[in-house]
Amino acid sequence: MYRSYKMIFLYLLLPFVLTGCWSSKEIEDLAMYTGMALDIGQPAPIEEEFEAKGAEYSKHNKVMTTIQIVPMKTVGTKDKNNTGSTKKPYLNVSGSGDSILEIFRQFSIRLDRPIIGHHLKVIVISSKLLRKQTIEQMSDFVLRDNDIRPSTKVYISQGDAKETLESSEPNEIPSFHITGMYRNQMRTSKVLDFVTLSKLDALMKTKRSFVLQNLVSGGGQIEFSGAGIIKGSSGHWIGNLNQEDAECLAWITNKGKAGAIKAYDWDNQPLTYEIKSIKSKISPHVDEGKISFKVHLAVEGRLIETWNKNNIPSTNYYAEKTSKIIEEKFAKMVQALMNKLQSKYKVDVAGFGNRLAIVYPSVWKQVEDDWDDTFSRSEVNFTYDISVTDFGSITETE
Amino acid sequence: MSFLSSIAHHIPDWIVFCQALIALLVPILATRIYKTLHSFVGTGKNLDTNKVSQTLESTRAATPFSGDYQTDLQAILSKIGSNSDLHTREFPLTKLNARGTLFCVDGMQNERILNMKMMEFLMFKATGDVLAEPSKAEDLLPFSSLSTISDIDNFNRSVLFGHAGLLIEGMPHGLLIEFPNGANRSIDEPVSEALIRGPRLGFSEVLSENTSMLRRQGFSDQLEMKSYLVGTRLQKDLVIAYMKDIVNPDLLQEVQTRVNNLNSDFLADSGYIEQLIEDNYLSPFQQVQNTERPDRVINALLEGRIAILLDGTPFALIVPVTFSMLLQTPEDYYERWIPGSLLRMLRFGAAFVALMGPALYISLIAFHPGLIPTELAISIIETRQGVPFPALIEVLILEVSIEILREAGIRLPKPIGPAMGIVGGLIIGDAAVQAGIVSPFLVIVVAVTAISSFSIPTYSAGVTLRLLRFVSMMFAAFLGMFGTILFFLLLCSHLTKLKSFGVPYLTPASPFRATDWKDLFFRAPLSLMKRRPAMLKTKDSKRKS
Repeated sequence: MYRSYKMIFLYLLLPFVLTGCWSSKEIEDLAMYTGMALDIGQPAPIEEEFEAKGAEYSKHNKVMTTIQIVPMKTVGTKDKNNTGSTKKPYLNVSGSGDSILEIFRQFSIRLDRPIIGHHLKVIVISSKLLRKQTIEQMSDFVLRDNDIRPSTKVYISQGDAKETLESSEPNEIPSFHITGMYRNQMRTSKVLDFVTLSKLDALMKTKRSFVLQNLVSGGGQIEFSGAGIIKGSSGHWIGNLNQEDAECLAWITNKGKAGAIKAYDWDNQPLTYEIKSIKSKISPHVDEGKISFKVHLAVEGRLIETWNKNNIPSTNYYAEKTSKIIEEKFAKMVQALMNKLQSKYKVDVAGFGNRLAIVYPSVWKQVEDDWDDTFSRSEVNFTYDISVTDFGSITETE
Repeated sequence: MSFLSSIAHHIPDWIVFCQALIALLVPILATRIYKTLHSFVGTGKNLDTNKVSQTLESTRAATPFSGDYQTDLQAILSKIGSNSDLHTREFPLTKLNARGTLFCVDGMQNERILNMKMMEFLMFKATGDVLAEPSKAEDLLPFSSLSTISDIDNFNRSVLFGHAGLLIEGMPHGLLIEFPNGANRSIDEPVSEALIRGPRLGFSEVLSENTSMLRRQGFSDQLEMKSYLVGTRLQKDLVIAYMKDIVNPDLLQEVQTRVNNLNSDFLADSGYIEQLIEDNYLSPFQQVQNTERPDRVINALLEGRIAILLDGTPFALIVPVTFSMLLQTPEDYYERWIPGSLLRMLRFGAAFVALMGPALYISLIAFHPGLIPTELAISIIETRQGVPFPALIEVLILEVSIEILREAGIRLPKPIGPAMGIVGGLIIGDAAVQAGIVSPFLVIVVAVTAISSFSIPTYSAGVTLRLLRFVSMMFAAFLGMFGTILFFLLLCSHLTKLKSFGVPYLTPASPFRATDWKDLFFRAPLSLMKRRPAMLKTKDSKRKS
């Protein structure tokens, strides 16, 4: 009797011997990647060397994946005095192949720590790659993978995507830099709302055209420059909107709330208007099968900078006069954007279709399938209500 | 036929059945083991009452006073006369023409008063009629605390306990004339339960002082105290205190039975009683609350609980106890209700951290790196790269040394204690980080855990949580977050089943009593607390008339 109890006790104690073995992976023995860049397929320089020595496997080099691993491994005890001011805190690893996961597993035969995707912050896809491959193909793995979070942000790069993951700053992790850049949205609408993986998934499933913020890199620095358009029906990249177009797009879609508009005044001097609030209302109209839209933009803001030697007194007269100038500028910008959307690229990325679907669901059902075409033929009228609320902290009299 | 085959298709294979069997057997086996372990020791509940009282009776074979002065004196001296600290003084009672002997033990009586008052009275003033009739003697002797004893053994015990004993020729019994008055400590602030606001009074080692403190809490004829003698070899006084018109009679009956069943030759502290009357000796949680604060005791009595006081210890026991009581202090009620509620919730949070802090650290570091914010993960990786140990060993190194430090802090003399804390906490922690044995982040976790466990108002509950912390660490190292959650669930299921004197330990959370929730995490304004806790099923549930 006692013997058997003793045995049971021993068995109960056994798990403690296992302690620390079962599926335990210490965090410092793993490599987190926080950034991922997808480029057009070509062997990475290191890979070429490997392949020259015969280290290869069967593949067609359709895509090159670069991941950014942080932090770099430090050796020995940390010296507080020189925290690697010369060393970069990240490591970029590139590989080419036909499957992103297979490329990842190729990394596993090169790295000393297994890579984990929980902390992936940003995916940059080169527009060149998206011309060849569809966005569905490129995002299939990251959407399926269980570790990668749906909150990962997706951007497009104009040049090589892997260059956006390089930085000339000594102590900066580029993927964090890109992730943090959206914070400037409160300052300028040129920074568009970021698109997360989950949102991208929804956009792709509805076959609607959309824009992704465009990244340009140069001299070890990066910039948000406009947006790349993804055509919904094909899933390919078809072109870029420039910075002002992107800004305009944000205002029309009610996503942008800030920005500066520079125009030239009656003396041909720069005059800058700072937007305080902007409200846009898109109202669709269906007249005997003909779809048209009215867009009303109500803008409030202040005169924030002028180079005019002559006074601009703080009176209603001048407020109206400046708002006229701003309105012209506004109209010009909007017209440029609408030209691109309706004539050049023939896509609706500004949510006109959405409004139509809400107001006229039955009409929407008929035109849904080739909405981009229908949109490019629709008439869009803009009305503006621009007010100059104040002239900043300077008060001038006539 | 196809219907049957479609069913057969859904029947799982033998592995699933094996798993189901194991899942069935594990709890059954666990209960079996638990029950066997329990039957080895048993609880205060199921002791045999009759057996105990019989043994007590048999040891006390009475030897009555014979009535003959010389014989009795010889009998007493032969039994206890060899004690070097026993003083005997034989004196003549001049007016009576008789002899008497005074017995007292060194240091237990104020000798000057004894000499001046009693000897003077007995030697020169006591007249014949005072002691002529034994029955009258009690009325006529000028001592307030006078009692007669007809049993020599009893007389001996009382004298050695510190009473002044008197044997007078012609009287067929012994007299005890003064209570013991041994060396006592002055009444101090309660050391283990200090408060900022509230009475500074703490119990002392003298039972009569402690009961008087309870009496002085307020004017009432309903506060009843019942005295028991406990201990088979060295007997001690024990008092059960309760409010007669509030307490649940079943509960009172239960407490009395358990106290009657106490069977131990000596009860050094109320901790002995606690362990002998508790429901479940295998539980890590205390089922009896100990306190040195009279205000805490009286509040508990007014809620319908029962207090047990033992002579010789400043710790009173309160039964029954629920889990929430361990995290409450009287100050919650003395301060206004908003800060009181805040502090109480803070303490619940601290208890959670004290229990789970290192376990969460282990499971995050070793199992779920994805749950740490990225920036933090990077700095943890950077600091942990030099650490040669797995997370569990790392945590154990620091946790064990903190526990040792804490234990050392109690033993150290008062002037060195704080210095030791600084040396231990700061220098060892910093040096361990510098040496690369532990990561700085862990030092924060361990420090926060240690501070959290200090914020638990009941010391013994704090010890319980310290103990369980190590168990939770094992679970975390074994199964990660899953293990941590498993541990928490096990703990919850144990607590749900635990009872203290018939009251579920987790009530009002489980079983759910909505009315008692106003004094659980949150302390409702006093004006809203119109009723006593429903869990105690008191005779009079209204606090306000």
